[in-house]
Amino acid sequence: MALTRRGFVRTVGIGAAGALTTSWIGARGREHDVWSAFEPTLHAVEPGQIVLASNENPLGPSRTVLAAVQAAFGEDGRRPGRYSGSSRELIEAIAAKQKVKPENIVLGCGSTQILRSATHLFTAKDKPLVGTIPTYEECAGYAEMMGRPVRPVALDADFKLDLNTLADAAKGAGLVFYCNPNNPTATYVGARATREFLAKVTRESPETTVLVDEAYFDYVTDPDHDTHIPVAIDNPRVIVARTFSKAYGMAGLRMGYAIGHRDTIKKMADWDGGSGTSSLNVLALHAGIAAIQQDATFTATERARNKEVRDFTMKWFADRGMKPTDAQANFLFVNIGRPAKEFREACRTKGVLVARDFPPFEKTHCRLSFGTMDEMKKAVAVFDQVLARKSTAA
Amino acid sequence: MSVSRRGFLHLAASPPSLSVLAARGLEAHLAEAQRSGGAGTLVPPGVDEIRISSNENPLGPGKAVLDAIVGKFPEAGRYPFNSTPGEAALTAAIAAKYKVKPENIVLGAGSQELLKNGVRAFTNPSHGLVTASPTFENCTGIAKKLGHPVAEVRVDSALRLDLEPMIAASKGAGLIFFNNPNNPTATVHGATAVADFVSRVRKVSPDTVILIDEAYHDYVTDPSYQSAIPLALETPNVFVTRTFSKAYGMAGMRIGYAIGRTETLKPLATLKMPYNVSVLGIAASISALGDPKHIDAERARNTDVRAFTVKALHDLGCTSSESQGNFLFTDIGRPAKEFREACAKQGVMVGRDFPPLEKTHVRISIGTMEEMRKATEVFRSVLKADTLPAGGRQEEAAWR
Repeated sequence: MALTRRGFVRTVGIGAAGALTTSWIGARGREHDVWSAFEPTLHAVEPGQIVLASNENPLGPSRTVLAAVQAAFGEDGRRPGRYSGSSRELIEAIAAKQKVKPENIVLGCGSTQILRSATHLFTAKDKPLVGTIPTYEECAGYAEMMGRPVRPVALDADFKLDLNTLADAAKGAGLVFYCNPNNPTATYVGARATREFLAKVTRESPETTVLVDEAYFDYVTDPDHDTHIPVAIDNPRVIVARTFSKAYGMAGLRMGYAIGHRDTIKKMADWDGGSGTSSLNVLALHAGIAAIQQDATFTATERARNKEVRDFTMKWFADRGMKPTDAQANFLFVNIGRPAKEFREACRTKGVLVARDFPPFEKTHCRLSFGTMDEMKKAVAVFDQVLARKSTAA
Repeated sequence: MSVSRRGFLHLAASPPSLSVLAARGLEAHLAEAQRSGGAGTLVPPGVDEIRISSNENPLGPGKAVLDAIVGKFPEAGRYPFNSTPGEAALTAAIAAKYKVKPENIVLGAGSQELLKNGVRAFTNPSHGLVTASPTFENCTGIAKKLGHPVAEVRVDSALRLDLEPMIAASKGAGLIFFNNPNNPTATVHGATAVADFVSRVRKVSPDTVILIDEAYHDYVTDPSYQSAIPLALETPNVFVTRTFSKAYGMAGMRIGYAIGRTETLKPLATLKMPYNVSVLGIAASISALGDPKHIDAERARNTDVRAFTVKALHDLGCTSSESQGNFLFTDIGRPAKEFREACAKQGVMVGRDFPPLEKTHVRISIGTMEEMRKATEVFRSVLKADTLPAGGRQEEAAWR
């Protein structure tokens, strides 16, 4: 039985947003996820391909982290046979790093589990999710699955979160998903404006929770940059989500966390908190402990490496009359004047994988993640050939 | 068929013990709390720990699996849909093992995700959960969190799932949790009994979904037992869960799967958390699936140590139920807590309380032969020395 996500979305209760939301969610599988078993046409990565599709750190975890993974085997190699009791240790390590208390942290199997828990707990049939179009769809996808309404909000002309519109949409909402930098558009709203936005939402709609997803935090170079963890600690209606999947290079290990007020975190932990006996694997727990305890120069070095590649790639496109949005993450969003699908398939035949469609911009825009400098030099040579050809859709 | 909460519960043949589980959380959380010192049972410093409390494989996954994990270090930065092999390759490998299609499989972060999502998908305030008492409480815990009714049917006098009252309770239920072998009682039902159970439930309550959890499948030696996977594939509303946490020695890796008809599994596929199995877990489990002899050897090892331990306890005057898992459920004639704390002082960690039998029975996981030789010596010393005078024990029990 071939069941597609598109078909599914039609059969499940669609929220107040109606048709717009249907196409927003329906036209894609998240990255390749829930429907992998049901959509056998999805392509697997082949060895040797340059993967610029999923906003991963091309270098992977540091040697320190991999050494910790191997040490987690135990001297006799038997420890992976045991349920891990190390989640407390990771929570304490994160608490020390982020200068909060353990009671302010809940772990998740990637930030996915965090985003799902927040959506589950803070939206309802009469309390919609507010999300921008486009943004990372985990919360909206989950809300639709649960029959909770989704209230979509357009980005501004620069593909940035439009704070006034968002604040209006937040009134009476259950949860606002605030992805900053925003995936897939790579744009960033400065710390001061975000703080003002959070205060405004709490003032104007005190029952509304805002989930600030700081997945790409470590890649931001905008000088007006700060975490909103201190806000979340004080305000039970603000949650910050973090992941080890991006700058820490651990997308394959599955570890993320939320930081917030103790009451909010307790709700999330009670509903679906990750632990070594539920969703969290022992290798990821030990990797996370090693990763968060690394010297701060680790993220600074990765940020600088990414910026160099980002500057190179942004300039390459700008020089050819294709101006990307102001990228503050490890990917860019660029108008290539043709359908992303056409570009993606042409690049694939030449060994370069770029991202999936991001409606409603899939006819013109493509998201590209940054590989290593060496990979990007090879990739732009491929882009050069592919873009030199006239679009068949033109 | 809308059944009220009260009406639903009244269908259970024996009075459902709703309050039994209320005082504690899921096994999982407790086990972790216990290991991290939260449950008050601690091994004194300097004493070597023998952990026979969580039904783990004491040997872990084996060298080939560890090598497969290390072999994937270069892809630890990739999402599980981008690694080579990726998540779809694990689904395909499991499907190949059972000669089914990938659409007949849903992966979980351990089978606990599938149990949890099974309750979320198939129960609601008017169609509750039917489960046993005692049994693995993951489903029970989530149903209670959701406020969905739970009917707990007490095991029979041989500590087996009591089929007749479970069938009676199933009318109008959303989901039946059928743990075979049953944790913590270690007993199993044979293939004929399971098939008959399924067929009768389907007659009295065709919309009820039956979840047959075969976590301990690989440890069963009873010839009357067979997996219910073929049954699930041919019967609507039946699915089986399996895990890599037990015989495969990968409890720390968090990988399980559900297998059944595609239309039965659809809600589980929908609720599946994206990327729930790590890149390293994918490589590890594909490697493990390729080495069935390793599992045969683990079954043989466990069978030997299990027989040794059953006999040693029997010689101490303690009877165990007919164990078909990698653990025993043993009548020690005293509260599990008292026994557990006394054993912990000598470095031996045994299972937590399993109400309603916590006053008399303890669950003991099967470690290595060397560990069980040491552990049974500790049991001997603990069982010989009454830690509390009989009167004191009764007094304490009255206050629970």
